[in-house]
Amino acid sequence: MKSPIYFFLIFTLLIGLEAKSQVDTVRKSSASRTSIQLNLGTQGIGAELVHGLSSQFAVRAGANIIPLKANDVFKFDDFKSKNSASADFTNVHALADFSPFAGFRLVGGVAYFFKAEGNINITPTDDYTYGDITLNEEQVGSVDLNVDWKGVAPYFGIALGRAIPNKKFNINFDLGTYYLTNPKTNIAGTGLLKGNSSQSAQLQSNLKDYRWLPVVQLNFNFKL
Amino acid sequence: MYKTKITALAFVMIAMSACKNPTEDIKLIIDTDIIKNTALINVTDAQTGNAAPNGVAITILGADAVNVYELSGKKNIVLTNGMVTIGLHPDVVPTTDKPITVSAEISGAGYNKETKQITFTAAQKQQVVNIPITKTGNTAPPIVLPPLPVYNTTNLTFVGRCPNRNDLEVRPSVYVSFKKAGSSAPFQHLGFMDKGNITTNLLALNETYEFQIVFGGVSYKTSQKIEQTSYNLVIDMPEACNL
Repeated sequence: MKSPIYFFLIFTLLIGLEAKSQVDTVRKSSASRTSIQLNLGTQGIGAELVHGLSSQFAVRAGANIIPLKANDVFKFDDFKSKNSASADFTNVHALADFSPFAGFRLVGGVAYFFKAEGNINITPTDDYTYGDITLNEEQVGSVDLNVDWKGVAPYFGIALGRAIPNKKFNINFDLGTYYLTNPKTNIAGTGLLKGNSSQSAQLQSNLKDYRWLPVVQLNFNFKL
Repeated sequence: MYKTKITALAFVMIAMSACKNPTEDIKLIIDTDIIKNTALINVTDAQTGNAAPNGVAITILGADAVNVYELSGKKNIVLTNGMVTIGLHPDVVPTTDKPITVSAEISGAGYNKETKQITFTAAQKQQVVNIPITKTGNTAPPIVLPPLPVYNTTNLTFVGRCPNRNDLEVRPSVYVSFKKAGSSAPFQHLGFMDKGNITTNLLALNETYEFQIVFGGVSYKTSQKIEQTSYNLVIDMPEACNL
């Protein structure tokens, strides 16, 4: 329950800081202003170079990477197995920020995902029996479900906080989504489970609408 | 940290605003080709050609009999409609230099005992062993079945359904026998179905056939009228759904 409260406090703080800076600061051209920001969020960790074109427009370019792995995420009632899930996303992106009023930005742009893969591996853990024959792990085999969204993806969203800090540093916040390419999927099985590869088409059909990659991201922005 | 990872992963993988369950209509498919070297033993009444009656027993003899299992992996080897498929434990593999030989002894009240040698080799993964048995005291010559007529090629794909497990499906590798629907003739060997697929030229157009699989001491049947060149057939195979 603490997370929503912290989120609300950070949000309020960001808006408050921006409101204050709007009052205190005389708007002046930001054509020469540049900053670098480190970010952390649902698209992983990354960095961006931000350049203010004017008080309302800024552009940024950067890269993000998210290598995540987790074990035993799924539980099967009848099928004793160990499983691991991983997501591996790496992108470079270029975004444009338009600020209709201080502290709030509309953001649009495009990214190229060099890597955008999800994988689930399911491996039986018990010695399974086939009639009176006890099978080892290799004989039973395993199943891999793979998804790949590699390619160009447009981005749109909003941002809270200034694109270029008024002073040396600010923290700002991105909320948006990438629209990924149509995913390519496949299922690969081994051993007793080799036949599962025939279900790749069904997985492809099930995941065809899984194209929205949400971005919720904190940016630590340093003025250069 | 671990919870954070899982939450982040779940966010990326699941919160990607989609409606359909990623695993919807996906079942775990199990192959039954664990036993690679197999032999279909088909025991018939020598005089009629019909399947051996109930009560006729099979015993596997020889030094390697301990390594022989029924196709479902069971040690209990029994004839069902005169048929049973036996095979070697997956860890026991015959080589070119060292084939594995066992004997099948068939016995039943009122019949003469028959013994036939079965040799598993590296080159031949499947084989059909016909063992006709004669009634005691019967001196009539054995029936000779005419060769089966040949027709156009038909592809059959079988899916083994698990009646009690909606999450499982079986891709059978088994011997299939067939006969014309409604016929009193015995089932005859159609071929070996490899991972659910069998191609045959023994099926006539516009005829309806019954297909039989004997697996785990149980006979599974389904029927189909042949009007095209390929069919997907579903057959209940609860004995193969015990994984």
